[in-house]
Amino acid sequence: MISVIVMNVADNVGNAIVDLKPLQTAIYELDGKEHSVSCQTEVPYGFKIAVRKIPKGEDVVKYAEPIGIASRDINEGECVHVHNIMGKRGRGDLE
Amino acid sequence: MNFLGYKRPDGRVGIRNHTLIIANGRNAANLGALISKSVQGAKCFVATNENGRGADDRAAIARTLTGLGNNPNVGAVLVVGAKRDGSHEEFFYDAFVGEIAGSGKPLETLFMDECGGFDAALGAGVRKARNLLIAASRAERVRAGLGDLFLAVKCGYSDASSGMAGNPAVGHLFDSVVDAGGTAVFSETTEVIGAEHLLSKRFTSPCEAAKFLAAVQRVEDEAKALGKDIRTINPIPANIAAGLSTLEEKSLGAIAKAGRRPLGQCLRYAESPKSRGLHFMDSWMSSSVLFLGFAAAGSVLNIFQVGGGSFGKGQMMPTANAGVVAPTIFMTGNPRTFENTGEDMDFSAAGILTERRPISHIGNVLCEKVCKIAGGELTKGETLNIEEVVEVYLRGACF
Repeated sequence: MISVIVMNVADNVGNAIVDLKPLQTAIYELDGKEHSVSCQTEVPYGFKIAVRKIPKGEDVVKYAEPIGIASRDINEGECVHVHNIMGKRGRGDLE
Repeated sequence: MNFLGYKRPDGRVGIRNHTLIIANGRNAANLGALISKSVQGAKCFVATNENGRGADDRAAIARTLTGLGNNPNVGAVLVVGAKRDGSHEEFFYDAFVGEIAGSGKPLETLFMDECGGFDAALGAGVRKARNLLIAASRAERVRAGLGDLFLAVKCGYSDASSGMAGNPAVGHLFDSVVDAGGTAVFSETTEVIGAEHLLSKRFTSPCEAAKFLAAVQRVEDEAKALGKDIRTINPIPANIAAGLSTLEEKSLGAIAKAGRRPLGQCLRYAESPKSRGLHFMDSWMSSSVLFLGFAAAGSVLNIFQVGGGSFGKGQMMPTANAGVVAPTIFMTGNPRTFENTGEDMDFSAAGILTERRPISHIGNVLCEKVCKIAGGELTKGETLNIEEVVEVYLRGACF
C-alpha cells in the first residue's frame, strides 16, 4: 500500500499519507514503479520523509524545485522538517 | 456545464441577486449600515476611514466600494453620503457614483444635506432601499455557462495536501473556466516567493511579468527589513504544525491553484481585469482582506481551499462571508480535515489522496459543484448570519 507520495522524479523528499513509525517500510510510486524507503524516525501524516540522503548544505527538492537547504546531514528515511532544513528566501536574519 | 444566472445590463453574469448599500465616505457609513439593518437581505460594507491617507490608499478604498457595486452578484445599489461629493476626489459624485452607473443596474443615491439631515435620510433611505430590493427581485435567472463565471481562489491553513490535492483540483477548475472563456484570479504575493520564476514566464505581456516580479521583490524586501527569518511569520505556525517547513515549499504548493493557463494581468488589490482569462492580484494573503478584494474585482464566487492539517476536531470555518456579495466555497484536499470539520465544508478533493483519483476527475466534480452553487445552491457559509469584519488592503502610512 502506498504510504508516501513523491511528486517528481527529481525530488529527494516525499510526503507521508499515513503516520509512519521507525523501521516501517514506506512504499511510494514513481513513473509507474513501486519504490520503498525504510523509515528511520517517526514521520507524522503530512510530514516529509527523505527518500535519499541529503548532505548538509544541499537543496531539499520537492515539486522538482528547491524548497530549502539541509541545515545538517539528513539520512534516507528521516523526517524532514524545520529541525533539519531551512528556507533560502526572505532571510532577514542573515542580512 | 451550465447554470442559471443573472445577466446584468453590462453583459456580465451574477450568481446571486443582492441589493447593496455603500457610503461615499466614512462620515456616512453608519447611515448605510442602519438602512441595511432595516431592509431584508440587504448587503452593506462599512469601509475604513479614507481621511489622513495617501492617494493610493484612498483609491483602493474607493475602488473596493465601487467594485462591490459593479459586481454582477449585485442587482441594485444605494449610495449614501453626507453630501453629493465625498471628502476627496475619489469619492466625488462623478467619479464614485459615475463608476457604478456604468453598470446600468438600478441605482439610487441619498445625501443627508439634500433631504433634511440624518433622521430624514434614514427614513428616505429605507424607502429607497426597499424599492431597490423589489426592482432587483424582478431579475430572472437565464441560461449561462462556465465561460460566464468569474472565480477567485485563496488557499489557507496549508499543509501537504494543499499542494498535492486541493490546490491542483482548483487549478483544473480554473483551466476549465478559462478555456470556456471565463475569468479566474489568484493572489497572495508573499506566497509565490520561491515559485515566482514558474509564474513569471506564463505572463503574455512582459510588462505585466515585470510588475509581478517587482511586487514579489517588494514583499521579500519588506520581510527582510524586519531582520527575521520570514519563517517566523509565513509559513504561519499552523502550516509548520501540519508539516510545511519553508515558505518556498508553501509557495510551490500554493501555485498549483493557478492551473496552467497563460497569465494576463498583475492586478492591484480590488482592480477589475481588463480581459477574461487568468490573472494575479498583488495582495496580502489574509482572508479578512482578500475575499473582499476579489469580490470588488468582479469575482462572483470565491474559493477558500484549505489544508487544515492543524484544525481541531469540529472547528468551524475560519471565514464565512468575507466576500460580502460573493459567496465562498470552503473546501479541502485533506481527508482528515474533511473527517474533522466536514460539516462546514462545501467540497472535498481528498479522493486524490485516499483513492488516488486523477486530479482531472476531482477537478471536474468540483466544476459541477461550482455550477450548482452558481445556479443558486447555498454554500455552508451562506447559511450563517455572519457579517464578519473585513477590511480593505491598504499599504500606505496614515497621517
